[in-house]
This record gives sequence, structure tokens and C-alpha cells, in this order.
Amino acid sequence: MTFEPGDWVRVLPAEKPGHVRTPGYLKGKAGWIESFIGAFPNPEDLAYGLSGLPERPLYRVGFSQADLWDGYTGPVEDYLYADIYEHWLEPERGTT
Amino acid sequence: MGGVHDMGGSPAGPIDRVQHEVEDWERHADAINGALGAKGLQSTDQHRRAIESLEDYRDLSYYERWVAATEKLLVEKGVLTSDEIDERAAEIERRWNGP
Repeated sequence: MTFEPGDWVRVLPAEKPGHVRTPGYLKGKAGWIESFIGAFPNPEDLAYGLSGLPERPLYRVGFSQADLWDGYTGPVEDYLYADIYEHWLEPERGTT
Repeated sequence: MGGVHDMGGSPAGPIDRVQHEVEDWERHADAINGALGAKGLQSTDQHRRAIESLEDYRDLSYYERWVAATEKLLVEKGVLTSDEIDERAAEIERRWNGP
């Protein structure tokens, strides 16, 4: 487990063909680790009948809605939480 | 760009909130998926991948996608052929329509 709750992370802006669970609207966006959910076989491999091993750490990541949508006019405390696998995250520096 | 299903945040109109009654064939679609999963012939991740790869994804309803993806997977795995599925469907339709 690489990240701790409270760590800032950024979702990789990668394009990967095939079955990807990471939503496109979160790619390239910064958020924080809300919690560690557990380690699970990689669904990107399970989708093709493979074992999905080794298991991949899965985190609940929080995002500010204002960071996700241009011209967002809702309350600043509007958050979005998404479950993102560790291999889709990189440490975010420069955000405190 | 992600797959055709990866449409979160895309521009869209109002949400259709009208409920519809679940139809019998939709219950069957759900039950068949459960049975195939229990027998190890299909997994949720495989089924999702097959759904996302349907060329007519946007034209299909929720359970139409389920059925089409299940057929695609079963053919892909060699469990059934398209002809076997079509013949069986035609037989059921004949029986349904009565003599």
C-alpha cells in the first residue's frame, strides 16, 4: 500500500484499450486518498479471463466537484468519491 | 477517449426518471447470468467487458445489452454457437405462439 489517507494523488491521464474501470472524467484530475479499501484482482485482466493477480490496492479517492467541472457553481464542499486502483494513481505534489 | 460506456460527465439532456415494470425476459436475463456465474462460465468483469464492446451499445436497453453480451461471451468461449442460440430462440418462439 503506497498511499495513506490524506495523501494527494493525481489520476493518470493514460489511455488504455480494453476494459478500464477508471472514469474518463477523472483522468488527469487531482484528489485525496479518503481511505484504503483493500486489494483485489485487477478487473482489467479479469475481464479477459485472466487471473488478475497480483491483487491491486484499491482506494477511495475524494475530488472537489469544482476541480472536475468547468464553471461549477455548487457549494465548495461538494465532493465526489470514486474507487480507483493504485496503478491509476501517481503522487500529487504542489497541492496542499 | 474511453469506451462507449464511459460517458460520465458528457453533455446530456434531462434524465428520464420514469420507472418501468421489469419484464419477464429481463428477469430471465438476470437469472441466466446468475446461473452462468455460479457455474463458472461467466464473471461480472467479463460480462462488463462484453457489454462495452457491443457495436450497437447505444441502441440497446439495459437488459438487451446484458443478453447480447451473454451471447457474445458464450460464443467466444465455445459454450454455444450463434446457430444453436438462434435455433433455440426460434423454437421457443414457436412454442410461445402456440399451435
